[in-house]
Amino acid sequence: MRLVWWLTTVLGISVISIFLSHHGATDPVQNLTLTVSAPIQGGLRDLAGPINDAFLGITDRGDLKRDNERLREELEALKNQLAAQQDAELRVRELEDALGLKRNRPEDTLLAADVIAEEPSGLKRAIAINRGLDDGLDEGMIVLSRAGSVVGTVSRVYNDFAWIRLVTDPESAINAQVHLASAPAGAGGNDVLTPDGPGTEASATPAPSATPAAPQTVRAVAKGDQRSGIVLDLLPSDAVINPGDLVVTSGLGGNFPRGLLLGSIRDVEERPQAPFKSATLEPAATMSGLETVLVLVSFKPARLTGP
Amino acid sequence: MKYLFATLVAWFLAVLNVSALPYMKIIGVTPDLVLILAACYAVLRPQDEAMIAVPIAGLMHDLTNGDPLGASVLGFAPLVLLAAVVRIRAVETQLIPALIVVSAGTLTWGAVRMSVLAVTGQEVQWFDATLRVIVPLAVVNTLFLPLIYMPLSWFSAAQRQGIMGGGRITSPL
Repeated sequence: MRLVWWLTTVLGISVISIFLSHHGATDPVQNLTLTVSAPIQGGLRDLAGPINDAFLGITDRGDLKRDNERLREELEALKNQLAAQQDAELRVRELEDALGLKRNRPEDTLLAADVIAEEPSGLKRAIAINRGLDDGLDEGMIVLSRAGSVVGTVSRVYNDFAWIRLVTDPESAINAQVHLASAPAGAGGNDVLTPDGPGTEASATPAPSATPAAPQTVRAVAKGDQRSGIVLDLLPSDAVINPGDLVVTSGLGGNFPRGLLLGSIRDVEERPQAPFKSATLEPAATMSGLETVLVLVSFKPARLTGP
Repeated sequence: MKYLFATLVAWFLAVLNVSALPYMKIIGVTPDLVLILAACYAVLRPQDEAMIAVPIAGLMHDLTNGDPLGASVLGFAPLVLLAAVVRIRAVETQLIPALIVVSAGTLTWGAVRMSVLAVTGQEVQWFDATLRVIVPLAVVNTLFLPLIYMPLSWFSAAQRQGIMGGGRITSPL
């Protein structure tokens, strides 16, 4: 009987507490806890990295891991350059088509932040950083890796700290576009952008004097997934997508600027007769063991700038 | 004093859980030392104590990992019930009850936590999360049980006997 009373009390207090926490009433307490524990967390993370490397080094994997990390960073940077170049080509083409339409995007302002904690359970994919409201952060802001790929968005912000929802979290959904690196002419659905505009058929054999075609794109939605990391959904069934094609943010919806690298296609899943196909993404940024991230403070998501 | 000590240990393990332990992935998951502590406490210590210390451990868990405050307090509550159920004194060791409580407690904690996430409007992939996170976590937590069980068991035994080594001491628990 005593256990029943105890359980009822715990249940009642927990439900009230969850409700209050969900509405931000307990944020000061959580901010205070992070303030107290942040130095220890930072120290433990600094300690754990080399220990982890040393442990791996016992089996001669330390150097390989470091080389792998360096090469991954270089690859990520190169992919970013390529994505930016492809996006710039597309943008130039669109600007030419729009005959003078000017698009102004202010210079990006980035705020560096240290990762102090990582959600350990795996049910959610989140990290905590040592920047918060006092540094100008707000919920929905975009967080990038050091090389400039999308890492996630600010999901919860306290005075001095913030939790970042990673792009691999099941809650994450981003409007994206795939740069079709090797799409044959005429391929693609209604969303395919061609020099002549959306939905138009391109010539199967372009004239020799024609200018090089701008990279074609298809739009989709990149969702976090427990199993695969990131899944690209709602891809047109007739789009020709190959492993290695780069995926960037499309800018639709106004919650992300256009052209930020998400990753590259790993596998494409085609289902007969399905109106859409899906693909899994290899995230450009390494999500585990992040130490420093950049918050894009100059870009205000639509949620923050809307009426 | 014993509750203050339990709070400090739970807080340190919670901090360790979100800082250093994510570097260590075993079958894709990180052991949850706070949950293991709460389960061991529920088995090794008197029920009256567990009824206070286990919610405290849940609170420390929530304060450090960004969950809604109260989610782990709720998730850890079944540990006390499970400990009451498996507390069969027919065997000399309490290791087996502790193993059962940790593994079953991890499963119930996972179910409660996913429910809390769903109720607070977050996306939960029930099947994948159970298969790829909760079940492996139950296995890993069970493997890591001795790390917490042994020192806590030693302290409990020392307190019961009141004598440790050559002199009389007061156990922090």
